[in-house]
Amino acid sequence: MSFITVFRTFAVLLAIFAISMTGTPTKSFAKSKFVFANSSPYDTLDPHVIYDVGRVASRLNMYDGLMRWLDNPPKLTPWLAESYDISSDGKKYTFKLRKGSTFHDGSPVEAKDVVYSIERILALKKGAFSLFSKSLDPGSTKAPDAHTVVFNLKKPSSIFLATVPAIHVVNSDLLKSKEVNGDWGGVWLSKNEAGSGSFELTRYDPAIGFQAKRYANHFMGWGDKYLDEIEFRTVKEINSRVLGLMNGDFHGTDGYLPQDQVKRLAADDNMNVMEEESMRIFYSIIHNGRKPFDDVNLRKALSYAFDYDSFINNILSGSVARNPVPVPNNIWGNPKDEKGYTFDLEKAKEYLAKVKQPIPEITIGALTGYGQTEQAAALLQNGLSKIGVKSKIVSEPWSVASKKMRDEQQMYDLLWLWRSTYYADPNNWIGEMYACDQVGARNNSWYCDPEVDKLLMEARVEPDQAKRAANYKKAAKMVTDDAGGIFVYNTKWFGPYNKKVKGVRFSPIGNAQEMRWVHME
Amino acid sequence: MILGLIIVAIAAPVLAPYPDDVTEFHPAERLMGPSVQHFFGTDRMGSDIFSRMLFGARITITIAVIAIGVSVLIGVPIGLLAGYYRNWVSDALMRVSDIFLAVPQIILAIAIAQTLGASIENVILALSATYWPFWARLVYAETRSALNEAYVEASIALGAKPLRVMVMHVLPNISSSIIVRTTIGMGGTILTAAALGFLGLGPPAPSPEWGRTIAESREFLPEAWWYATAPGIAIFLVVMGFNLLGDGLRDVLDPRTRRSTSD
Repeated sequence: MSFITVFRTFAVLLAIFAISMTGTPTKSFAKSKFVFANSSPYDTLDPHVIYDVGRVASRLNMYDGLMRWLDNPPKLTPWLAESYDISSDGKKYTFKLRKGSTFHDGSPVEAKDVVYSIERILALKKGAFSLFSKSLDPGSTKAPDAHTVVFNLKKPSSIFLATVPAIHVVNSDLLKSKEVNGDWGGVWLSKNEAGSGSFELTRYDPAIGFQAKRYANHFMGWGDKYLDEIEFRTVKEINSRVLGLMNGDFHGTDGYLPQDQVKRLAADDNMNVMEEESMRIFYSIIHNGRKPFDDVNLRKALSYAFDYDSFINNILSGSVARNPVPVPNNIWGNPKDEKGYTFDLEKAKEYLAKVKQPIPEITIGALTGYGQTEQAAALLQNGLSKIGVKSKIVSEPWSVASKKMRDEQQMYDLLWLWRSTYYADPNNWIGEMYACDQVGARNNSWYCDPEVDKLLMEARVEPDQAKRAANYKKAAKMVTDDAGGIFVYNTKWFGPYNKKVKGVRFSPIGNAQEMRWVHME
Repeated sequence: MILGLIIVAIAAPVLAPYPDDVTEFHPAERLMGPSVQHFFGTDRMGSDIFSRMLFGARITITIAVIAIGVSVLIGVPIGLLAGYYRNWVSDALMRVSDIFLAVPQIILAIAIAQTLGASIENVILALSATYWPFWARLVYAETRSALNEAYVEASIALGAKPLRVMVMHVLPNISSSIIVRTTIGMGGTILTAAALGFLGLGPPAPSPEWGRTIAESREFLPEAWWYATAPGIAIFLVVMGFNLLGDGLRDVLDPRTRRSTSD
């Protein structure tokens, strides 16, 4: 045996050893447990006081609604309801509940629980409240029998059905027994759970996250492949999430990591990065209500001063698609022929010259910890300096920015952020972002144009989707032409999962954080 | 080393290979490793990190010098007054500085910077407000011991006014301790300023402040290792430089050590 043969044999043995070390799991679970690393802390579990994407997992996994958004493109699917009926005047929605669904304490899910849930949302005035406050009065929802719920709307609403999934049904008997000083059981529910969802809470710590186990009696039943336990753990640092994924400590994390980290994960043999076109547009709010931003020429100058191409193709490595209007590209109601703005400093100067009012130093807001918003702000600042407009960047945490953006005086001149999907209807974007009745609530631009508003309001009551689409297309073109904001791109979702994880079902609502179909191999 | 820092800070526009890169970006060249064109590579916007480090030195020096200057201006008079008089004023002044010393500096600085908003001015304010008690304490103790010296007693016996005693007799004799404390304090201040920058409470993007650069770079670790390393080394060298300078000055200025070395 020559020296080389010995060496080769040794090398092969070493390689086999190395593969067996990394290839086989060192720990084996008797039960399958999925650990998700989440960037936002779960500071409350109450499904009616929060309505954001960062903390969606507690709502989707422990609670059910009458309807649910599934898959991509999102389809509105009956869930706790088995059927529904809309009256011809569009004001009466009757839902028939399926029989046999139970809460985690074994009691049946009944119509009175649905009524209690919507009354609770209307009384607490938090979370999804603003979706229902305009269409439902407290006390108007009725339960004629144990399996029928009737919503009586103040006026017809073509988006009501789309928002029904936000009514997470809670166990009314349980909550009433936990009520203290008319708080609708709020103190108790912030740390506990009263749902009927696919998983029931086993452990919760606001600083760590929550753990839940499979609820075997869930109405949907379970196949032979499922997860026994899930854990959603708060891990703020991106690097800790990525390293934890690569080490196998976590099995999944959010799908909106910086592109450089996505590349790193995609290159890892133990990882599987899923890709889906989401509905989450990145844009800059312009405070249209403040002088001199009420001048369309200045807003156009701002829109021409942003280097869209560099941002999308260099900074984000082309991982997103240009979305020039305030409606995502992949939903109906998007005007496909609208090209929007390009990076054109000559045009920017041209429009700037038409601005009569003096232009002060512009404050560009960005979100601390979201590098992209800071990079976009810096890129815009750079463009503005070339046309002779001074600006400063203010980077603040989301908790601060989200408060300021509801206050006309405190709001930044511009603010970079995303608009995620709360329900898959164009109203979720342009219909809220630029409607007069949402000013200061979900319209943080203080933009209120009578013509645009007329189109949006018609679309909100019109039942025919084709007619609504026409309105949204027209309104989107008008807002874009009016440079109501600086619209940049629509996000792609890059969900990084351990190779063992199967059955992930992505929907732009919830970003694949509903775990009932997931299992491990 | 410190001289180097000051030269770098003043001459940043001349020394930097890409002086415009503080506000100018080249996204096509982002996150490139160290090379001859870019000694420390490029950052997330494609700017030259080396050039930005040089300009970051300016911010650091400005923050440290002004913050320490203000701290000395507040701390020394308070220490002198409290040390010279032995009455309720002196007690009150020292208790106030005790309260400031009881709260960890960095926590207090974070609280102040967070309340006032992120900017260079507010970092300076936060650092000044939290650092002056060190000088007050030091000067107080030194003044107390100086008051027992024969030359002070003599000047008081000759009828000198309190102000004259403090400024003409006490201050010059305790100045060496103040200088040493100030030099060492510089290092600490720079470290705290970088920590505030790291936490997002320093000057906002796209400022090349060192702490903020390290915070930015976390997203790109470990691939873009140079991004965090360059400002890290810069902070390390400067803080160590000030500490060594402080040590050296103490050896030179302290009469006891000087005597022992010359013996």
